[in-house]
Amino acid sequence: MSDTAIKKPVPRPSPESTHYWQAAREHRLELPRCNACGQHWFPPSQSCPHCLAADFTWTPVSGLGKVFSFVTYHRVYHPAFAQEVPYIVALVELAEGPRLLTNIVGAPPEAVACDIPVKVVFDDFEDGLSVPKFLPLNAYAK
Amino acid sequence: MIEPSRELRDVCAVVGAGHSRLGRVPGVSSLDLLVEAMRNAIADAGLKVTDVDGIVCRGPDESYTHHQQIGERLGINARFSTSLDNGGASQILAVALATMAIKAGLATTVICGFGRDSWSRTHSSKEANVRNETRPASQLAREFGPEYGYFGAVAAHAFGATRHMHLYGTTRDQFGEIAVAFREHALRNPDAQMKKPLSIAQYHEAPPVVAPFGLYDCSLRSDAAGAVIVTNRERARDLRQPAVSIKGFGTFNNLRGWFADDNMVTTAAKNSGAAAYQMAGIGPNDVDTAQIYDCFTYMVLAQIEDYGFCKKGEGGPFVASGALRMGGRVPTNTSGGQLSEAHCEGMLQLVEGVRQMRHTYPAERQVADAEIALVSGHGGNLVCHSTLILGRT
Repeated sequence: MSDTAIKKPVPRPSPESTHYWQAAREHRLELPRCNACGQHWFPPSQSCPHCLAADFTWTPVSGLGKVFSFVTYHRVYHPAFAQEVPYIVALVELAEGPRLLTNIVGAPPEAVACDIPVKVVFDDFEDGLSVPKFLPLNAYAK
Repeated sequence: MIEPSRELRDVCAVVGAGHSRLGRVPGVSSLDLLVEAMRNAIADAGLKVTDVDGIVCRGPDESYTHHQQIGERLGINARFSTSLDNGGASQILAVALATMAIKAGLATTVICGFGRDSWSRTHSSKEANVRNETRPASQLAREFGPEYGYFGAVAAHAFGATRHMHLYGTTRDQFGEIAVAFREHALRNPDAQMKKPLSIAQYHEAPPVVAPFGLYDCSLRSDAAGAVIVTNRERARDLRQPAVSIKGFGTFNNLRGWFADDNMVTTAAKNSGAAAYQMAGIGPNDVDTAQIYDCFTYMVLAQIEDYGFCKKGEGGPFVASGALRMGGRVPTNTSGGQLSEAHCEGMLQLVEGVRQMRHTYPAERQVADAEIALVSGHGGNLVCHSTLILGRT
């Protein structure tokens, strides 16, 4: 029965996000950066939400940021997360500006707080897929 | 600076209000629940269904042509009808559109309403109960969420609660006071879903759902519908109920997103409320009772700050003072709200605001001497907001 174990949902990319997930497979965090105004944005789209220019380049970012806010799941909404609770879902504000929904790993919920610094790590899923998550840059980090 | 037109102040009135059976109503579709509420509102107003020539409504998120289905069930054509797409902010927007349509001469008597079957929908199977999701699968996120175990409205709102606690030292005790106060109000309402008292100790003992929210921070799952009827004030004079004046309304939509800017702490209620206050020519000190969209305890706290009942960041001490209780500074969600009466995406707040302005409740449910009621609506992806200001005269 082990091969029927319930799997976590995998990202199902849109045309706009295909590059993002391809870079993540190679453990690179890349965001669209506007060639007109220089700002980054997320989630990916074909035009800059800061200046509406449609000219951009996928650009690696530092992977550094801070926790803007976070929540801790105690309830199981999806059976694949039954063994994960309590787990932390966070909104991380990258040094480059955009905010990403993600998980905080390597720290218990009581060690996580708004505004603590974090850095990206990649969590490999099946079939080469990898998902960016964040690790606190403090004493609790593994 | 653009200001909302004061020409719409006191032009129209709410002349009928009704609700359906609330809570667990198995075997009845959301459409039939809404028709039940509309039938009650039409009877309440002393009108015939053929007097209605406008429909502005909303149903479940997957529903297309909703107003057409409602008109078919009511057996009427309409000079003006549409269904809305602003989530829990739609119900007040319906009244705003009705007022504008009547002022524009496009309709005379508009029925507005919303119905949902969320109790039945989330109890249709064990899996549906676990997922606790009322939206159709086609509208759920495909990426940037589910892979992280991010599901549901509880977590989305809890992000705001965490941030508010971080910035201002707001506590779960203060959130708990909101849940306890509204439960106390619900016990005065025989139609409310929740029938037992709730103590602050029970609030803290309840299981966490998505921290910082526990069970009693979360609104109910309900089968529920409500409806109101809007007409101009001259027509309103001849009808059965004391007319409740539409003094002002406003909307604002933080379309850059709940996660953008400071939107999860200073919500769209700030600008939506400012517009409504301007149209009505009043300010927060004039509001005698508030009916606030309480999908979660924290959203009450954030909105009462945004509406100016207290300063941003002072919502915790404000609610802890008992301000939201009957006899408090601004008795709020006097029928129990979505936390304890039934969750009808703001529609029952609207109905309760109207009833408070009629002064026909027994003394224990009536906010004494209330002349102005403020009603709020919040929804969509947590960024759409609407405010309605009702007056006794």
